[in-house]
Amino acid sequence: MRRTAPIIIVTLTGVLLISMASAVALGPSGISPGSLFSSDNAWMILWEIRLPRVIAAALVGCALAVAGTAMQGLFRNPMADPYIIGTSSGGALGATIAIVLFAGTGRPVLAFIGAMVATFTVYFVARKGGKIPIETLLLSGVALSTLLSALLSFLMYTAGQSLHQIMFWLMGGFWNISWNDVFAALPILIGVAGIYLFARDLNILALNEEDATHLGVNVERVKRILLALSAFLAGIAVSIAGSIGFVGLITPHVMRLIVGPDHRVLFPAAALAGAILLVWADTLTRTFTSDMPVGIITACFGEPFFIYLLRSRMKA
Amino acid sequence: MKPIEIIDIDVSYGAKKILEAITFNADASEILGIVGPNGSGKTTLLKAMSRVVARDNGDIRLEGRDLDSFEHRELARRVAVVPQDISIGFDYSVRDVVMMGRHPYIGRFASETAQDMEICDRAMRLANVAHLAGTSVRDISGGERQRVLIARALAQEPKILLLDEATSNLDVSHQVEILNIIRDLAEEITVVSVFHDLNLAAHYCDRLLLLKDRRVYALGTPSEVLTREKIREVFGMEVLVKSHPLTGRPYVLPVYMHQSGSGGNRRVHVVCGGGTGSDILHLLHTAGFAVTCGILNVLDTDYGTAMHLGIPCVAEPPFHNITPKSLAGLRECLDGADTVIVTAMPIGKGNLDNLQVLLDYPKKPIIFYARDHTARMEDFTGGEAWAVLTNLEARGAHRIEGAAELLAYLSRDGSGCDRTP
Repeated sequence: MRRTAPIIIVTLTGVLLISMASAVALGPSGISPGSLFSSDNAWMILWEIRLPRVIAAALVGCALAVAGTAMQGLFRNPMADPYIIGTSSGGALGATIAIVLFAGTGRPVLAFIGAMVATFTVYFVARKGGKIPIETLLLSGVALSTLLSALLSFLMYTAGQSLHQIMFWLMGGFWNISWNDVFAALPILIGVAGIYLFARDLNILALNEEDATHLGVNVERVKRILLALSAFLAGIAVSIAGSIGFVGLITPHVMRLIVGPDHRVLFPAAALAGAILLVWADTLTRTFTSDMPVGIITACFGEPFFIYLLRSRMKA
Repeated sequence: MKPIEIIDIDVSYGAKKILEAITFNADASEILGIVGPNGSGKTTLLKAMSRVVARDNGDIRLEGRDLDSFEHRELARRVAVVPQDISIGFDYSVRDVVMMGRHPYIGRFASETAQDMEICDRAMRLANVAHLAGTSVRDISGGERQRVLIARALAQEPKILLLDEATSNLDVSHQVEILNIIRDLAEEITVVSVFHDLNLAAHYCDRLLLLKDRRVYALGTPSEVLTREKIREVFGMEVLVKSHPLTGRPYVLPVYMHQSGSGGNRRVHVVCGGGTGSDILHLLHTAGFAVTCGILNVLDTDYGTAMHLGIPCVAEPPFHNITPKSLAGLRECLDGADTVIVTAMPIGKGNLDNLQVLLDYPKKPIIFYARDHTARMEDFTGGEAWAVLTNLEARGAHRIEGAAELLAYLSRDGSGCDRTP
């Protein structure tokens, strides 16, 4: 573990707290500190609208970044994130079913179920003789995503009036977030803590699987647990905020450059950075763009980075 | 109770049998080498012992207990594996990697203790990587990385150390350095190692297990296992097995036979001595020429070469002058030879007759052969030899430098009679 690690974690924690405070203070309706005491309305906006939204953004960013970190370590592939193994498509399909068939009722629940079902379908399709080779896992993920996208397109085609709602949800964002959504997002903290317990195993797995076996890591079990926990995190994230891409891809990457590959430091660093990233992305969109889906912002910043990554890997 | 017992195991990958009916034990404090041709199942056997591949049937007993009954971490505290150079893509420091060896001792909710650090430091000192502790594993050489992996294995404090050709990607000095470290370790632990190089195996192992076609072909001391016959049978190759002049261990020298024959059974007689003819004796023999040589002293290197190759050779006991009987033998060879080759050798009173007799064969094509431009005849007869050589050259004998040139010249026409250079 590098000596600078504790400093970085403390700094990131500070930055996150400041970011969240600033995010609560910023917004289209321009609330001055004085008005908090004079206007019930201002207090309401702050307490009932902005604060839950900022907390939810932080939790979702944290979930996506940690799930991405775990996937990248597990697959020994910096291109991996929870979306690549079909979690996102499953969640999207679940949410769309809720919107089309049940007029939006139970959308978060169906999104979560969709994400988990998709992940485990991929897992069982890819499983061969009790093992899940990484290559077949990625391929099954791509194959299933394509199938789910086709079903999604079919639903959208038949959606009629609710098409607009589906589109917005697919782009991802934090509209109408209430305290109930924040409570629904709290299990993210449990998932993150659970993944952190496997930080050392993941460090060893990053070498190669056979070598990890020699060092006493129960590779297949660790893989199963981490897959399940990552899908759990991504599932909750999708159920609350729809599909927000690239946070899970970029954050682990940048943090690995800063704190090094040791997952015991990388997990907390990525969790904090993911939260900071999404809090600011969401603040930008609701303050300056009349609440454009935040997924557009992250994709706009994320895609060039992804291409850069791809190019630099091709050179290496 | 043996540290590890392998009892009649079969291993297959899918429908393909890899190992059949393998049975052996490793003793405490020994180095057991596993040798055999590619595809004989060496690495798979090691993987079965580290439980990375499952066996179809048979038993492996570790400390008398069924290998499968060990929990993962429990097993890693007893058996450590040094793989064949793995690539480490992430930017870990040497200490990070060695500390991974402590993983089976550290609980999920705990972190490393001072004792773990101490064991880690000791392992790094033993494997001679302590000075690299803070360096990234991506910035060190292959030999250093291999030593890091040994340190990591030692940090596991294993009873049994398995090595899968752990040194085969390294140059010879690093191989020896690492194997010396391992031999010192073997005083406390059992080492089982796959070897590619038979000579390293012979030198470092107490016993060798020779695999052939998925089965145990031989098991015993290096001298028992590495015999000419067994190696021919298993590797399909002719070798010479000598004893290493410094250690007395068997030493295997390949004969480098190949089947390309351009000689077409033409007869060549080689007059040589002092090792000047060994290369072309071998070359001409494998090229398919019917080679004879002599007259040689039986202590001469060239004589040894001829005997190993099965080349007929007229020979004298040491320190004897050439006898009329040998001379008659030589004449017989010369009569039958299509070409005579005289190598750039030292000529003294003892072997001058070899040259002088050539004067009686004015029609015989004669070649003076030098291995390279530094090789030349040396006259210890006070001028007599020079006189003979000059005479022979005047009659048409000509010089060729280099073995390839010689072979090309002899192969150029049917008789080898062409005297134009």
